[in-house]
Amino acid sequence: MGGTDAKDILGLPKTPLSLTQEKKSRPQKESHRKPDGISREVYALTGGVAPLMPSIDVTHLKRPPPPDEKVAWQWLPVKSSARKDDLQLYHWVRVVNDVPPTGDYSFAKYNKSVDVLKYTDDEYENHLTDPVWTKEETDQLFELCERFDLRFTVIADRFPLSRTVEELKDRYYSVTRALLRARAQSPAELANHPLIKEPYDMTRDRERKRALSMVLSQSRHQEKKDAEILAEAKRITEMRLAARRAAEPDVPANENIGSVSPSSNSQLPATAVAPSTLTMADYASTLASLRMLHVYLRTYGLEQMVQAASSAVGLRTIKRVEQTLQDLGVNLKPKVPTKTVCDEHLELRKEILTLLNLQKQLQYKESEGSSHREGTYGAMPDTPKDRVFASEPFGFGAERPIKKEPKRKGPGRQSDTPSPAHKRPRKLKASDL
Amino acid sequence: MYGGDEVSAIVVDLGSHTCKAGYAGEDAPKAVFPSVVGAVDGVEAMDVDADSAKNNSNSEDSKTNESDKEKGKRKLYVGSQALNYRRDHMEILSPIKDGIVSDWDLVDNIWEHAFRGCLMIDPKEHPMLLAEPPLNTQQQREKAAELMFEKYKVPALFMAKNPVLTSFATGRATSLVVDCGGGSTTISPVHEGYVLQKAVVSAPIGGEFLTDCLLKSLESKGIKIRPRYSFKRKEVRPGEFQVEDVGVPDTTESYKLFCQRMIVGDIKDSICRVPDTPYDDKSYANIPTTSYELPDGQTLEIGADRFKIPDVMFNPSIVQTIPGMEKYGDMIPTVRGLPHMVMESINKCDVDIRRELYSSILLAGGTSSMQQLKERLEKDLIEVLCSPSLFCARLLTFLDFENGSSSALFRSFQESPHSARVKVLASGNTTERRFSVWIGGSILASLGSFQQMWFSKSEYEEHGASYIQRKCP
Repeated sequence: MGGTDAKDILGLPKTPLSLTQEKKSRPQKESHRKPDGISREVYALTGGVAPLMPSIDVTHLKRPPPPDEKVAWQWLPVKSSARKDDLQLYHWVRVVNDVPPTGDYSFAKYNKSVDVLKYTDDEYENHLTDPVWTKEETDQLFELCERFDLRFTVIADRFPLSRTVEELKDRYYSVTRALLRARAQSPAELANHPLIKEPYDMTRDRERKRALSMVLSQSRHQEKKDAEILAEAKRITEMRLAARRAAEPDVPANENIGSVSPSSNSQLPATAVAPSTLTMADYASTLASLRMLHVYLRTYGLEQMVQAASSAVGLRTIKRVEQTLQDLGVNLKPKVPTKTVCDEHLELRKEILTLLNLQKQLQYKESEGSSHREGTYGAMPDTPKDRVFASEPFGFGAERPIKKEPKRKGPGRQSDTPSPAHKRPRKLKASDL
Repeated sequence: MYGGDEVSAIVVDLGSHTCKAGYAGEDAPKAVFPSVVGAVDGVEAMDVDADSAKNNSNSEDSKTNESDKEKGKRKLYVGSQALNYRRDHMEILSPIKDGIVSDWDLVDNIWEHAFRGCLMIDPKEHPMLLAEPPLNTQQQREKAAELMFEKYKVPALFMAKNPVLTSFATGRATSLVVDCGGGSTTISPVHEGYVLQKAVVSAPIGGEFLTDCLLKSLESKGIKIRPRYSFKRKEVRPGEFQVEDVGVPDTTESYKLFCQRMIVGDIKDSICRVPDTPYDDKSYANIPTTSYELPDGQTLEIGADRFKIPDVMFNPSIVQTIPGMEKYGDMIPTVRGLPHMVMESINKCDVDIRRELYSSILLAGGTSSMQQLKERLEKDLIEVLCSPSLFCARLLTFLDFENGSSSALFRSFQESPHSARVKVLASGNTTERRFSVWIGGSILASLGSFQQMWFSKSEYEEHGASYIQRKCP
């Protein structure tokens, strides 16, 4: 057995190399007798060589059962503690050494039942009488409760008089509660009993079932309407929330926060804060998403807010904001992220953004103005630059800031930024985040 | 088996069409045979000098009788082998009428045949699990228990309701079982292993009723269904056969009907399909026909009937259009179609469990293996549950587009939450559907934790047969 037969079958020529190999392997094979436990053919399947890692321990193969154990299967009667009579059913049992296994029937432990309290007649007279329920009915109820393990749906089905599930539950729980109270030595031990802690309320149960049946019996059309109404309500609340935020910096906010297209140019003056109102909507949505998390790191929250703030602007502007922050000596991420620090940081970023936007607008106006002037007058001795810078704080005209590449960085810019950043009274107070 | 412990119990399910019996723990019953008995009354039945008191109950209406010996040598034949052989004067009698056992003598014979004839066991050694209809009366159960313990001396007995067993066969404790059997269709909700009896809905439309409809319909078209015994085929030329009628004047009408029903039942099983939409004559008038070859060589072309007959289950008023079935005309208006019965049953249940019932509707019974039944039932239920009107649908989409947030709402409009909750389940294997009650019994009787629930002989002797009400809920 081995490679030569295979080569024969395949018709390959026997090379001299294989012959020497054969010679070598043959003495090897002879000394390598097959281990006990496997037959010769099976061993040869592996190539006649033992595997590197023995996969099965050889001693495990074909091990005869230990001679001291004698296992037989017998048809024996079984006694179960779960049965009250002495019915003997037979089943197959693994018998070792003629000793049948002892111990209870293995399935008897599954015989569990609910602990239903039983009352005596005296107790009934003293505590449990009820105008609506007679003693017989109550007795029947308790018997059914025990039989059906407190499955009230089935009990209601089998109860001879027609009572609703809620009534049955109510009666059972009130009786049990009264019994517990009557039997308890002290009220303290009762306080933790679930029946005392959370009493069953029949009217609430009825209401709940009525509501459930209404929900289930809604037609598809009604469900669509409900879904639509809910979506509408959600939209309105979001709008209101955003409107409230935008109303705080004393600027009448846009109504169309949720809509895609921006408002017309005929809107109010401070459209310089238009970008910030758009970001207000972003803030609202970010806030909502953060609130969903319930627990989050403040730095993570801050990052989200920063991202929300800078989502409306381009990458270059973000870089400029960061550059400005560095020039001011402020870390890009606050070192000690307490609530006030984070709020102030966000404020700062917002203000820098506003500043940059205004500067862009200024440039644009300047270029327009200069082109006008060049067209009509010629060169003017004083550029409006400084004047304009001085009058920077209030809002500009009605044009939206066009995202243009800033053509030149005005020299006064650097010197101006520290003062407005520090000394300008804060108008945009960050509301509760 | 982890939870299993074999005690070699026997499971017997006596249905209105077939009786199924076998060992618990197996996949399918070993003994399956029609649950009717052929009775040939001996000529000595009219012997006058025997006590007239015993012969009071006449041989024709065998509804109340004690044992067959006193009936004057009436011979009963049970089992498909015995029934397929034609005998003179053999009447076919069924012990079950309207789902309830009416003749205990016949039932006794059927059980005897099952135990000693088919399974070849001694009932003394095996506990018995019997399957019973969900609306069985206390009296019936006591009689069954009495018969089992007194006559067959079984060591232990349990009687389980059919829907509960079907539910266990699919591994569920709560479900709505739609049992389309031979004699009737019963819809019963099962909650945590117990049948909610007040919500069981039943209709007399079953497989046998559909077979009768088909038979009458074919007869009205002039096709004569010849029972197998009534003709002989002679080879006139190689490959060509000539059919000759065999005169058998002494065959009873009931036997002839029985044989015809067997043939037509086969036609129904192989050809009939449930239509996807309610049946009406106009749309199905031009349907291509399918051919079926009868045992006597005739070839039938069946077209519209293929779809008309199964639709009787969904729309019982169609029966009135079938000539020959007018006698059922008065019964029909009270019977509603299958989807309506399902709704009725669920609405009688407590609100809390309705959702669960909707999502697990099980099909069982021989008739449920009709093709496309499951799909049609699901479709009809979804329609009945949430009936959208086309106008409102269009109005909604218009509003959505106006608001500008069309996409999300429109998508949700397509999938209705209600319809997602309705689920009709049926095992793909038709054998499993036919025998689902028996299979459930087989599973139940071989569970280790069931062994404490048997109603034993000693308990019977101690408390009497009425104790069965307590023991077998």
